[in-house]
Amino acid sequence: MSAGINRYKADLRELQFVLFEQFNFAEIAGKGPYEGWDQETAKTILQETYRFAREVLGPLNGSADREGCKVVEGSVITPKGFKDAWKQLFEAGLKQIAVPKEHGGQGAPFALYAIIEEITSGANTAFNMYPGLAWGAAEVISQCGTEHQKKLYADRMFNGVWGGTMCLSEPQAGSDVGAAVTRAVKQADGTFKISGTKIFISGGDHDLAENIVHLVLARIEGAPAGTKGLSLFIVPKKRANADGTLGPHNDVQVASIEHKLGINGSATCVLNFGENGECVGELVGAVEHQGMPQMFRMMNGARIAVGIQGLAIAASAYLNALEYAKDRKQGANFKSWKDPAAPRVPIIEHPDVRRMLLELKSHTEGIRALVVKLAAHRDLSLIYQGKDDEKATYHASQVDLLTPIVKSYASDEAFRLCAIALQVYGGAGYLKDWPVEQYLRDAKILSIYEGTNHIQAMDLVGRKLGQNGGANFQTFMSDIATFVEKHKSHPIFGKEVAALGDASEAVVSTAMGFMGWSQSDKVTLVPLSANRFLEMMAKTTVGFVLLDAGVRAEEALAKLGPTAADRAFYEGKRYSALYYGRNVLPQVKQLAELVTFEDTSPMDISDAAFASF
Amino acid sequence: MPIKILVTAKRVEDYESKIKVNAQGNGIVLEGLKYKINPFDEIGVEEALRLVAKHGGGEVVVASVGTKDVHEQLRHALAMGATRAIWVNHAGPLDQMTVAGCLQKLIEKEKPDLAILGKQAIDDDQNQVGQYLAEWLGWSQATFASKEESLESEAEKSKTPALQLSADAKTLTVIREVDGGLETLECSMPCVVTTDLRLNQPRYASLPGIMKAKSKPIEEHTPATLGVDATPKITVTKMEHPPARKAGIKVPDVATLMDKLKNEAKVI
Ligand SMILES: Cc1cc2nc3c(=O)[nH]c(=O)nc-3n(C[C@H](O)[C@H](O)[C@H](O)COP(=O)(O)OP(=O)(O)OC[C@H]3O[C@@H](n4cnc5c(N)ncnc54)[C@H](O)[C@@H]3O)c2cc1C
Ligand SMILES: Cc1cc2nc3c(=O)[nH]c(=O)nc-3n(C[C@H](O)[C@H](O)[C@H](O)COP(=O)(O)OP(=O)(O)OC[C@H]3O[C@@H](n4cnc5c(N)ncnc54)[C@H](O)[C@@H]3O)c2cc1C
Repeated sequence: MSAGINRYKADLRELQFVLFEQFNFAEIAGKGPYEGWDQETAKTILQETYRFAREVLGPLNGSADREGCKVVEGSVITPKGFKDAWKQLFEAGLKQIAVPKEHGGQGAPFALYAIIEEITSGANTAFNMYPGLAWGAAEVISQCGTEHQKKLYADRMFNGVWGGTMCLSEPQAGSDVGAAVTRAVKQADGTFKISGTKIFISGGDHDLAENIVHLVLARIEGAPAGTKGLSLFIVPKKRANADGTLGPHNDVQVASIEHKLGINGSATCVLNFGENGECVGELVGAVEHQGMPQMFRMMNGARIAVGIQGLAIAASAYLNALEYAKDRKQGANFKSWKDPAAPRVPIIEHPDVRRMLLELKSHTEGIRALVVKLAAHRDLSLIYQGKDDEKATYHASQVDLLTPIVKSYASDEAFRLCAIALQVYGGAGYLKDWPVEQYLRDAKILSIYEGTNHIQAMDLVGRKLGQNGGANFQTFMSDIATFVEKHKSHPIFGKEVAALGDASEAVVSTAMGFMGWSQSDKVTLVPLSANRFLEMMAKTTVGFVLLDAGVRAEEALAKLGPTAADRAFYEGKRYSALYYGRNVLPQVKQLAELVTFEDTSPMDISDAAFASF
Repeated sequence: MPIKILVTAKRVEDYESKIKVNAQGNGIVLEGLKYKINPFDEIGVEEALRLVAKHGGGEVVVASVGTKDVHEQLRHALAMGATRAIWVNHAGPLDQMTVAGCLQKLIEKEKPDLAILGKQAIDDDQNQVGQYLAEWLGWSQATFASKEESLESEAEKSKTPALQLSADAKTLTVIREVDGGLETLECSMPCVVTTDLRLNQPRYASLPGIMKAKSKPIEEHTPATLGVDATPKITVTKMEHPPARKAGIKVPDVATLMDKLKNEAKVI
């Protein structure tokens, strides 16, 4: 991949379909907190963002991957062009789009923001993490901070003046966040002295903004062990005076940066806090031992953001593979494969290449619809807040339920789909001349950070299924049942809708099985089958949203003239739904059957039996 | 000293759209096309915004002639920062003289200090409106405005205008592209400037800008209310794709090549 060439591609028509035609953006915009928004504005913003992504962010994706970050005299230097891109991003106001108006943003619906994030993240995943983390950290402060903290920190972070990070991980505390030992000692003036080492901190240092605000999980002296004893601290890189001017360095040292498989433009730092006893932090919201609930606000958002990263990378991988397949000539048409004189055809004519392309298309579209469904639920929950409690609760519950699914399914699929996109290219895909090998490498982190996908699966089966006495899950299933009932004799999707019905029954019976295990001596079957259950539920949900899109596309098609340019687009939606309904939805039943086998072989095998060393 | 600048925003086919000639052979297939602001006009809007910012404020008024669809391009210019917009409502064929006529009337009404237009529109590449306009207004003109530094220069990053207005706003210095180099002109104001590609790099319409643009006024006129006869003086009778290039041939020796160049291609 040569420097300075944009490879990012998006299909704006598809983005508009999901937002405007499937999830009724027009019904969200203009209501409640989204006063002043409308579809036309959203459309303009999508176009402008896409242009920005291709002209500013995309050209830096490959060059930043090759160049990586470096540490010079204790400070991180980001790849060439990132500084200008950061400046332009905030000047154009793209990162402030969903920032609340009281912090100087535009207060856009989350559904629109999700698509904007898809575009910016797809153009340059590594770059997009820096403003993303600043945003996430600012949100925590804006929701949990004191008035002073909101003004001093959140405003600047939302507007790109200062950056932000989330500091959870330590050498002995990865998935087990509660094992964190970073210490906080209270000072006479109410601030705390922080000391400890955090590892894997994304954007832990950089040269994009004049200051960086770290949100650090630490344990106040004498606090209980485990997650309950953790508090969240605001720890700036440079101390901040009350008026926002900068004081001396705050004794946060970059010990090193990691050398890694992908997202090489994103600095992953080991940070030492208080090596010289001079690191000062203040409690978020001035409350102790609230670290986990506070940090969870950021983590829930960040988990959705990781799902969007997966969608973003996979979608661009698909569109690049599609372009390549139309161009690359190899072999003759299948029907004349024995004839050496037959003309060579573009590989898009080969059945197996078409199968791969439709696999990519249907999955990326399905994941996009899943993401926007979640986002629209979030918007609606805010619209109904204080006006219609029942509706507000319903929508909020669906956000909770879908978050681990979005995070895990989008991230696992992103890696698998990038591998398929690479396969479409053949040998060329393996080379750095083309963008897909980077997509594949960049996508792998997504199943690991923000809670590994197994942690997500345990969140789903351990917490989300039973949340609200199981009501969240039941409403979700009954939404699907309503759809199945309504469309089971659909002239085009009847069979696939029936497969959705079977899949959702399989999900319900597996969930019942889990309840049984939890209360018996078979409890180890829960973690053993959790990932499989998440997969079942994800496939059912994605099948649901794809069929819903298909039904809407058919309605739109029926209104179009025979030569309308949009016909091909809607027909594409039909095949995405049919393909997923025929090739993926039926797997859910099969997976459910596997779960009933109650296989415990991973537990039965002794450690010694895994390998002879 | 505050200045007032009139700029244009023609609606043109996006250069990434695939253009096909229609079945009647007298125009292009419009279905499925994407549109945008003429890139040269966008450069004009950018330059006007920079000039106004540098000269302590003023107004950038953007005008466009066409159906209501041109509101999209007007809004784009407003989102970039233009103050207000004027729409000359007109459906059907439109030639350069009509557009220049409408602009002339608007300028006589609005009395700007300066008009900045694209040197041409990327749809029909005519390169005429600015010149007609200057002639009819009796204003000085500088076409193909460009600048010395590259688009990657520090000056460009800090958004300094390439057009240099004297402190008393009486003269404008314009660097323009000519065959084989650049030429510097000093024009007396008011004047008409047309932009070339390397004049500047237009800003992105900022998000707050897009939101604000929604409530900025668009004033409506028609050629008739402006007193302009919109009957086209030019009609397009036929449109066709350029002939497809023929495959090359191999010739055995130089003599055959010379012969073919002389007698078949008739180029030497
Ligand atoms: C590029 C990158 C960027 C990162 N950015 C940040 C950041 O900005 N801030 C931050 O705080 N952290 C960050 N992290 C850390 C990341 O969140 C952790 O890597 C992740 O939480 C996993 O922890 P670990 O690496 O210690 O793996 P471990 O916890 O050691 O896990 C190893 C394996 O064991 C499994 N496992 C662990 N515990 C259990 C259990 N109880 N039950 C079942 N299985 C279990 C895991 O699923 C995994 O498969 C980043 C990591 C990377 C690689
Ligand atoms: C690292 C590396 C090492 C290599 N080493 C060697 C080596 O030592 N010696 C050597 O000779 N070669 C070598 N190769 C070349 C390798 O064997 C080819 O890349 C491989 O055969 C695929 O061919 P291709 O790259 O031209 O892809 P293409 O043939 O263009 O294939 C692109 C895609 O189209 C599909 N496709 C192509 N034709 C058809 C068809 N008729 N029907 C259905 N689908 C079709 C393919 O399955 C693939 O998905 C190497 C390649 C790499 C990347």
